[in-house]
Amino acid sequence: MSFGESCSATEGCITCGDTAIVLTVVSIDDADACCQDATGRTERVATELVGPVEIGDRLLVHAGVAIELLPHDGVPEA
Amino acid sequence: MRFVDEYRDPDLARALSAQIAALTEPGRHYKVMEVCGGHTHAIYRYGVHDLLPDNIELVHGPGCPVCVIPMGRVDDGIAIAEQPGVILTCFGDMMRVPGGRGSFLEANARGADIRMVYSPLDALRIARENPDRQVVFSAIGFETTAPSTALTVLRAEQEGVENFSVMCSHVTIIPAIKAILDSPDLRLDAFIGPGHVSTVIGCRPYEFIAREHGKPVVCAGFEPLDVLQSVHMIMRQLAESRCEVENQYGRVVRWDGNPLALKALSQVFELRPFFEWRGLGSIPQSALRFTAGYARFDAEQRFELPGVQVADPKACQCGEVLKGVLKPWECKVFGTACTPETPIGTCMVSSEGACAAYYNYGQYSRQRLDLQVL
Ligand code: SF4
Repeated sequence: MSFGESCSATEGCITCGDTAIVLTVVSIDDADACCQDATGRTERVATELVGPVEIGDRLLVHAGVAIELLPHDGVPEA
Repeated sequence: MRFVDEYRDPDLARALSAQIAALTEPGRHYKVMEVCGGHTHAIYRYGVHDLLPDNIELVHGPGCPVCVIPMGRVDDGIAIAEQPGVILTCFGDMMRVPGGRGSFLEANARGADIRMVYSPLDALRIARENPDRQVVFSAIGFETTAPSTALTVLRAEQEGVENFSVMCSHVTIIPAIKAILDSPDLRLDAFIGPGHVSTVIGCRPYEFIAREHGKPVVCAGFEPLDVLQSVHMIMRQLAESRCEVENQYGRVVRWDGNPLALKALSQVFELRPFFEWRGLGSIPQSALRFTAGYARFDAEQRFELPGVQVADPKACQCGEVLKGVLKPWECKVFGTACTPETPIGTCMVSSEGACAAYYNYGQYSRQRLDLQVL
C-alpha cells in the first residue's frame, strides 16, 4: 500500500487512525494471506492473530495484520 | 444492517435522528464523548453531529494515537535516528508530529534516515534487507495497533533478526478514560466506545464505567449510521434510567475480544508504571513496555535517549481539546497559525485529531450527509 492510499490529510493515516479494513483471503502463503478489497487491490496480511484462515474468509485488517476473522454470517463467535 | 450502503442510508439516518430527538428530555443537555479519533473523523466527515438535536453535544476524546504523543517522545525518536547507521521507521502521521527539535520530516532534512511504513512488518523487512544497519520501529497507537507490533517482535525472534528494535509508545485506552472520568472539568453522560480497540480488548473492560460511574457505554462501528445508532442506544439507556455496556458493532466486536491478539500482547509487553500523555499528563499503568523476555528488542535499552520532558508551545491548547474541555475552534491559533499544513499541536496533524477533522470538514452542515455521502 502506498503513502497516498494509507495516509492523506482528508482520508487519514489508516494505521494511526484506529482504522481497519475488511479484506477477503484469495490465497494463503504459510502464516500470511494474500487478501483483496472490493476494488481488487491486493495486500499481504499476517494471520497469526486470528488462527487458521481459508480462501474466501473475510478478515478485519489493521497495519498489515488481521485482527479479527469475520464469520460469513456477519456475527462473530461469542 | 450488514452492508456499507445500509450504513449510509439517508432514510434510515433521518428515522434514527427523529427517534433520538424523541428520546431527549426537553431542557436537559447531554454530553456524549466519542473516545476514538476514528469516530471524531466520521462525525465531522459525514456531518453526524448535524443530525442530532441541539441538546446532544458530542465531546471528542483522547483516542487519536498521534495526538497523545508528547513532544519529548518525538525528540527521543530523533535522537535515535541521528545515531550512525540507524534507520528509524514510523507510521505516516508520526512524520509530522512536532517535537521540541522539529518533526521527523525536519530531521530527515537534516540528514536522518526516517522512513514511513504501513505496517511494523515492513520495518522488519527493512531490517532483513539492511543487516548492517540498526532498524528501529517507532510504535504508537492503542490496542488496535499494539498486537501488530507484538506479532512483528515475535516474528523477529523466530527469524533471529538481531538488528531490529522497537521504541514502544503504545498506550492503553482504559486508563485514559479513567483520567477523564476523574477530571473535575468535565461532566459526561455517556461514552461511544472505540470499535477497533474493542475488537482486541472486547467490551468487558468498560464495565466499570457503567458499574462505578453510572454512565452508559456503547461500542460502535465507524459508518455514519453506526455512530447514529450508538447515540440512539445511549439515549434509550438514559431514557430508561439504565447504564450498561452495549455492543453496537457486533458484526466485528466480540464481548471478550480477540484472545490470540491479547495473548501476543501479554507475551511481549507489560504495563509501564507511568507514561506521559500529551494534555493528560502522567497516567499510571497507561502504556506498554517490553517484558523481560523481549527486552533485547527494546530500543530504549539499545540506545541512549534524552528522555527529557518538553513543554508544549504556549499557544497550544491540545490538552484541553484532548480532554474534551475545549472545542477545536475555541483554540486561539486554530486555522490561523495552526493548520494541517503547519500544525502547532498534535490534534492538527492526524485527520483523526479533533482539530484536523474539524478543519477539514467542520464547515459542512446537515446537507453533507444528504448530498455528499448518501
Ligand atoms: S488548533 Fe492546533 S494548537 Fe490549538 S488545540 Fe488544535 S492542534 Fe492544538
